[in-house]
Amino acid sequence: DFKISANIVSLSKFASSFPGESALPPNLLLPTNLVDPARLRRPPPPADCSLPLLRKCDAVVPAHLSPVQTWVETLARLDGEPLGLAQLHPDVFAVHPRLDILHEVETWQRNYKRISHASTKIRSEVRGGGRKPWKQKGSGRARHGSIRSPLWKGGGVANGPRGPTSYFYMLPMKVRVQGLKVALSSKMAQQYLHIVDSLNIPSPDPQYLLDLIRHKHWGESLLIVDVGEEFPENILQATASLKTVNIIPAIGLNVHSMLKHEAVVLTLETIKFLEDKLLWHDQRYTPLYPFKLPYSDFP
Amino acid sequence: MAVLGGLLKAGASFCQSAATLLHTARTISTGTCCQIRMHAIPQLKKVDRWTEKRSMYGVYDNIGILGDFKAHPKDLIVAPCWLKAFKGNELQRLIRKKKMVGDRMMTLDKHNLEKRIRFLYRRFNRTGKHR
Repeated sequence: DFKISANIVSLSKFASSFPGESALPPNLLLPTNLVDPARLRRPPPPADCSLPLLRKCDAVVPAHLSPVQTWVETLARLDGEPLGLAQLHPDVFAVHPRLDILHEVETWQRNYKRISHASTKIRSEVRGGGRKPWKQKGSGRARHGSIRSPLWKGGGVANGPRGPTSYFYMLPMKVRVQGLKVALSSKMAQQYLHIVDSLNIPSPDPQYLLDLIRHKHWGESLLIVDVGEEFPENILQATASLKTVNIIPAIGLNVHSMLKHEAVVLTLETIKFLEDKLLWHDQRYTPLYPFKLPYSDFP
Repeated sequence: MAVLGGLLKAGASFCQSAATLLHTARTISTGTCCQIRMHAIPQLKKVDRWTEKRSMYGVYDNIGILGDFKAHPKDLIVAPCWLKAFKGNELQRLIRKKKMVGDRMMTLDKHNLEKRIRFLYRRFNRTGKHR
């Protein structure tokens, strides 16, 4: 936490000559989920706002729900004035915060790719150990059949991990889709989701992005999502050297990355793409054959 | 020594005056050799939470849902070919390995694999409650 550590440094510089009670101990461990109190709580846009409405919902909004309204900002200028408003579909950005679905999707993401290569040899695979070491009776020692039994030093392992194991499983498609919707809604509700008109930056300097984030109090880590295979060169160069600011295409959006990065930035085209993809699952027929095979009405 | 302490405790319950003299609460072990010896509290290992692998973990996991179903997340798994998008117990994994890779395995490994399959088949299907 760079803000909290700045306070510690300033306090320790002040208190070095005065061993008083205000000196912070050097081995102080603060919890990592402290929210920056200086984070501006910009209220959601009021109904009578003078800024233009830049985007309306394409899909049909149910009658009992109203679209979510948010500010649309810009990355080109350092000052924090929004450009306009945008309306987001409530079935994607205002679903109930289902933490159990988030947990399920997160554990699925961690485990379905997991291959454990832990492997041990059993007594028949360890080199040697075919001969009986001494005769059964008469030698006074305990009876043994081979020198590689699990009782012996250097012998095989009886019930150890066996070979590469996989932990693959798939969650139902609708659960994964709902996980994405819940993650987006949670980020929106906690005001960590920001909408931007485009990703054009004046300079490829990574310091510009850091100053922008610090000025707008967006958080420590930022995830930038954009549709399309090509990004502006400036932002690619700026994020290439930064660790906590990452840019991904919209196809790569997932719950783990959204939870790992504190703030998420979406462009207007990304929102259209996400709404289109995520809302289709609410009203689709169950597949008779996998979706990757051609359907007549689905591209 | 612990037995003696127990006897003394039992004896003290009869005479209450002796109970105050005996403080037989031992909270440490009196084993002879302590294998782990430390001169100081060890420092926490420093883990960088923002390496390339950690910050990009999980990207493209929803490539099916968000990418028109042209690819499946099971295509992303880095694994031996007999374990890609497959989960099973040891016998099932070994049978699949023999089916897919068996003809290009080394002779010793193939022999061990066959022995293990034979053992596990007999173990699962002929012994125990579930057969």
